[in-house]
Amino acid sequence: MQTDGARPGQVVDLTNCDKEPIHIPGGIQPHGVLLVLQEPALTIRQVSENAEALLGVPASSLLGTALESLLTEPQASSLRTCLLSERLEDNNPLKLTTRVGGREHFFNGIAHRHQGRLILELEPTFEQEALPFFGFYHQARSSMSRLRNAKDLSALCLEAVREVRRLTGFDRVIAYRFDEEWNGAVLAEDRLETSDSYLGLWFPASDIPRQARELYTLNWLRIIPAIHYEPARILSLPEDAGQGPLDMSFCVLRSVSPIHLEYLRNMGASASMSISLLKEGRLWGLISCTHVSGDKYVPYEVRKACEFVGEFMSSLLVTKEGNEHYDQRIRAQSIQVRLLERMTRHPDFAVGLTHPPPELLELTGATGAAVYFNGRTTIIGQAPGDEQLQGLIDWLAAKPDPQELFCTACLSNHYPEAAAFKDVAAGLIAASMSRGRHNYVLWFRPEVVQTVAWGGNPNKPVDLEGAQPRLHPRKSFALWKETVRGKSLPWKDYEVEAARELRRSVIDIVLQRSEELLKLNMELERSNVELDSFAYAASHDLKEPLRGIHNYTSLVLREQPDCFSPTNLKRMETVTRLTQRMESLINSLLHYAQVGRTDLSLRETDLNEVLSSVLEVLKPRMDEFQVEVRVPRPLPPALCDRVRMAEVFTNLLTNAIKYNDKEKKWVEIGATGTPQGGTTYYVRDNGIGIKPEYHDTIFRIFKRLHGRDKYGGGTGTGLTIVKRLIERHNGRMWLESQPGAGTTFFFTLGSEKAEPVTGKGAK
Amino acid sequence: MNRGLPILVVEDNDEDFDMLQMTFQRVSIPNPLYRCTEGEEALEFLEQTGRYANPEQAPRPGLVLLDLNLAGLDGRQVLEHLKNTPHLKSIPVLVFSTSDNPKDVQSAYAHGASGYLLKPVDLPRFERMIQLFKDFWLDHIVLPEGEAREGVRR
Repeated sequence: MQTDGARPGQVVDLTNCDKEPIHIPGGIQPHGVLLVLQEPALTIRQVSENAEALLGVPASSLLGTALESLLTEPQASSLRTCLLSERLEDNNPLKLTTRVGGREHFFNGIAHRHQGRLILELEPTFEQEALPFFGFYHQARSSMSRLRNAKDLSALCLEAVREVRRLTGFDRVIAYRFDEEWNGAVLAEDRLETSDSYLGLWFPASDIPRQARELYTLNWLRIIPAIHYEPARILSLPEDAGQGPLDMSFCVLRSVSPIHLEYLRNMGASASMSISLLKEGRLWGLISCTHVSGDKYVPYEVRKACEFVGEFMSSLLVTKEGNEHYDQRIRAQSIQVRLLERMTRHPDFAVGLTHPPPELLELTGATGAAVYFNGRTTIIGQAPGDEQLQGLIDWLAAKPDPQELFCTACLSNHYPEAAAFKDVAAGLIAASMSRGRHNYVLWFRPEVVQTVAWGGNPNKPVDLEGAQPRLHPRKSFALWKETVRGKSLPWKDYEVEAARELRRSVIDIVLQRSEELLKLNMELERSNVELDSFAYAASHDLKEPLRGIHNYTSLVLREQPDCFSPTNLKRMETVTRLTQRMESLINSLLHYAQVGRTDLSLRETDLNEVLSSVLEVLKPRMDEFQVEVRVPRPLPPALCDRVRMAEVFTNLLTNAIKYNDKEKKWVEIGATGTPQGGTTYYVRDNGIGIKPEYHDTIFRIFKRLHGRDKYGGGTGTGLTIVKRLIERHNGRMWLESQPGAGTTFFFTLGSEKAEPVTGKGAK
Repeated sequence: MNRGLPILVVEDNDEDFDMLQMTFQRVSIPNPLYRCTEGEEALEFLEQTGRYANPEQAPRPGLVLLDLNLAGLDGRQVLEHLKNTPHLKSIPVLVFSTSDNPKDVQSAYAHGASGYLLKPVDLPRFERMIQLFKDFWLDHIVLPEGEAREGVRR
């Protein structure tokens, strides 16, 4: 005689869970008796060692005898017919009554064939007859309609767990769904009101090893009525023992893994039952029942009813899952519509997206968001700090596999620096809003450690102190939490889809906006061209009559000056002078119009050469006014239009000469480095200065600060043109002045940044 | 040396033409002066067609002073036509305009103008310009004779 060990003390290590041969445990749970019968004589070939306790006959004496010996005569023949039939499962449960030593024992017999063996499992029952069929039928009917009427998945799950709890009376019944990695999320529960809620909690895939999941697919239901059991070993006739351990894949009494029992103990459960949920043939989830207030045996018929609930629920999964989060989806859609409407209406759609702020967050169920558009960031809710955000955006932009949508519940797995801000952004959805340019909408979720509260450790660490390896609930909880640090709640499908949808809308809007901009630009271009030719035509047409007035007046004055009274003579002279002023105004206006139009020819230019050529032209006037020109050190080279820069210098120097009433006049031209590495040029004089209130208006066209003929006169366009020229170089112009003490005009040339400047003179 | 050659002035502005005429007298330009006020008319003059079908009325000019902004067919087109017509293209054309638009200047030379004179709003400058014109174009420059026309007319 040979027995298979039930392996209660087998060494548990970190790797054996997946390998543990749980379908051949070599023992059963002792609340029933397992018999392996040989057909057709129904000889007992194998029997669990607890036979004596339940049947009153020692197991060893049963081996080799016929089943009939246990039964009353009339029962034996009907049972034989049932057991030998092809579809013996249809007759389950078989109502058995044994009579041993004058005592009757009632059993539910559950029979199945597997690998050529007839396996009969006997569970004691107090009822001789089957449970009233109608009771079950009515229950099943109402539960079926409740399940069928569930509006979505969570409603379906809730109905199912209520139904199972009602049927069984377990302290807690939960329904959970596996994710792609076989982690389970609790979707519904029905429990003792005094116990903690497991709803929304997660537990790791390793809680249910691969081979256990395979058995779950084969069997709809497992029960452990009392987890503190001693497995009853299977005794076999010697010939059978040689065939290897009994495959108990379909046995209801099959002893469960000691690791699983330990696990249940850690949870504080004393009994458990689980029902498989399958979707299209694949294990989808479980209805899991636990009892903390003692052992819990569930009669066969009730188990069948629960199994039925599981099967029926499974058949509904496809349709109900389609309706999952129906309300939230609808809600997301309406938020989407509102956001879209606001974005289209608002000139800056990023503003439309973020005001009022909660909607963008609600769209994906995020706690924070950042809209990063064309270098500008708008933050809503909880978000990483500016630098952290910039780092994150840089990382997203530099990702080797840029995706339209990047979504993770554990950002630090991808971007380790994110660990620093996991309390606001452990989870991220990043929607890239444009190709090439890096514009993003980012949604954040904080780290949520407490979401995983179900016991169990993904790595199943084992305490090897002492003889028996043990899982310690506290420790494993803590470790498991440790392993899930840095994780946020997972993003739901509809939330990710909402982000994707928003991305599409934004891209549409951006595209539409850029088309509008293109159109505007084209119109602007055209109107510029028109304006340009208009300026020429206007100046031409204005000058023509002007020339006539001028010439005729001049002729009259020249040919007959004597026929005028002195007053009229003066008036006639004024007419001539006015025509000339008008001509110069027209010319200035035309010139100003040209500044904006003509193309700049930007090249690396030695400004010292430009300056000296300007000074050469201005030399006669410099000499006339006795102006000292100072150039403390050579100007650094700049990327600019040589001709335009000459005009700038000419204008500024002319002004410096003109607006100066000092005895010793001077003008200084120089350059200084800026902290940003650029160069600021300046033209400084010791002239009359400009009052602060005029520092801006002085650049306005035709705005003069002095009388027409004071300081040599002028049209008031010079500085306007200079400023425009500087701006066309992407530069900036401003001034500092002390009335009476002089003025300094500063300007930068943005263009110089386009190419590296050697910057000999720059500091 | 070119004193006998007719000069055609294409100018729509009476005052400008008046000044031109007066200044021509003032600086003693003896050349016969013809005037057209429109582009179309100028072409008729040059081709001796339409209004100028009688060749006596429209001798082949030795030089054309051409204003650019004309009503109808404008000076630019007149220039282009003239320079694209084989028997006319040897006639020097001096543009005489108010516009200093670089594009106008550029296009005038590109189409074969011999010079570009800017009308000033300044009488002395104007007179100096006409004086120089006389010295240069009428006293020193060798201009082509009208032989091409004879060829065309047979």
